[in-house]
Amino acid sequence: MSKKTTQVGLRRPNDPPILILTSLADGPKHGHALAKDIEAFAGVVLGPGALYGAITRLEERGLIEALESDDRRRPYRITSGGRAALGEAVHDMRTLADVGAMRLGLGAMNRVRKVGLTTIGMAP
Amino acid sequence: MSRADRFERLIRWYPPTWRERYGVEFVALLEDTHGMNDVPWRERLVIAKSGSVERARSAGLLGDSTSPNERIRAGSLLILCAWAFFMLAGGIFAKFTEHWSAVTPTADRWIPSDGYGAVQWAGIVGVVVVLAAVVVVLPAFIRLVREKGWAGVKTPILRAALVVAATTAFTAGLVIWAHHLGAHDRNGGLLPYHLIVPLWVLSVAAALGFSTAAAVAVARRLDLSQRGLRALGGMAIALTLIMVVIMAGTLAWWGSVAAYAPGFLGNGALATSNVLPPAMIVAGILMLFGVATAATGAVRVARSIGNRVSQ
Repeated sequence: MSKKTTQVGLRRPNDPPILILTSLADGPKHGHALAKDIEAFAGVVLGPGALYGAITRLEERGLIEALESDDRRRPYRITSGGRAALGEAVHDMRTLADVGAMRLGLGAMNRVRKVGLTTIGMAP
Repeated sequence: MSRADRFERLIRWYPPTWRERYGVEFVALLEDTHGMNDVPWRERLVIAKSGSVERARSAGLLGDSTSPNERIRAGSLLILCAWAFFMLAGGIFAKFTEHWSAVTPTADRWIPSDGYGAVQWAGIVGVVVVLAAVVVVLPAFIRLVREKGWAGVKTPILRAALVVAATTAFTAGLVIWAHHLGAHDRNGGLLPYHLIVPLWVLSVAAALGFSTAAAVAVARRLDLSQRGLRALGGMAIALTLIMVVIMAGTLAWWGSVAAYAPGFLGNGALATSNVLPPAMIVAGILMLFGVATAATGAVRVARSIGNRVSQ
């Protein structure tokens, strides 16, 4: 992980902040929609305590922002800073995955990516 | 109690500022997640932990969301809380070590004497440091009462004053009673006296606890200058070093008496062995906890002063 990535609190791929940013990269969502989406694409169940702990930190660091809403369920969206931080984290994870795949003799990372995308139902 | 009320109760773990910002949507999420069911215990624990972390952050004890000044204040108050543990541990140590030198061979007395002396002198210096801190914050306290009134700080101060007064009366009664008893009765021979001493220790602990809580509640409201906060931070770090000296002195006394006069350590009525008497174990645990807490606060203060200097 690069120093910049860890400075904004993004460490492991299953860290709640990375999962939330990844989910919001697809469009704004409120708490419950976020939890459901994260469970669907990562298989990680984030309870309300863990979810809002991460939302608080991400908003504090300017990586996400709340949208105006009349509903009690306030949606959040990723900011440009959040996109940049997620991009850094994804780049780091991709580098790690590429090195791991190469050393395991799994060949081109494209194959690994294709399997991954198929698993979450996003294969082209 | 309705289910909505139960959800509302869960968010009390969080600080008021957090509840104001996220409370409504958090309760909505709890309703969406758990519907008509109870929140599982595991999730309750996560919420309790998460809420406590938010409280620590808003108090300036964790993270960097508060200003360096607030972090200096929070670290200093944490050290004050650690000092309260040391006051209690010191009381236990003082009571336990009464007349120790009379039973220790003269030739073997220098190490425990130095240890005991270090505890006494460091304790006195510690009290002076705390009193100096009171002098530093006194003008700000008077300003607070003049500008914002007595109402904001009345409750914790009156509560502490009441408990301290009750403990003082209890102590005076116990001392008068003890003066009418013989040495045998005072040292486990008289059951009622033997039973009332732990209650007295608890009342002293309560007085220390309420006084510290009042001091923290007042200090958090004080409008202190940057210079005043740095002075307080410096005193708090000095107090941490004093606590380390007290603990080292206690260990030196304990270790050397265990080596040269173990019979003295076994004199307590509840003693289970010669070298590990329960009173000293309790005092040791309190000191260890106090030093760990104070060290956490000192690191916080030192880093925050460093941040302020580099800004």
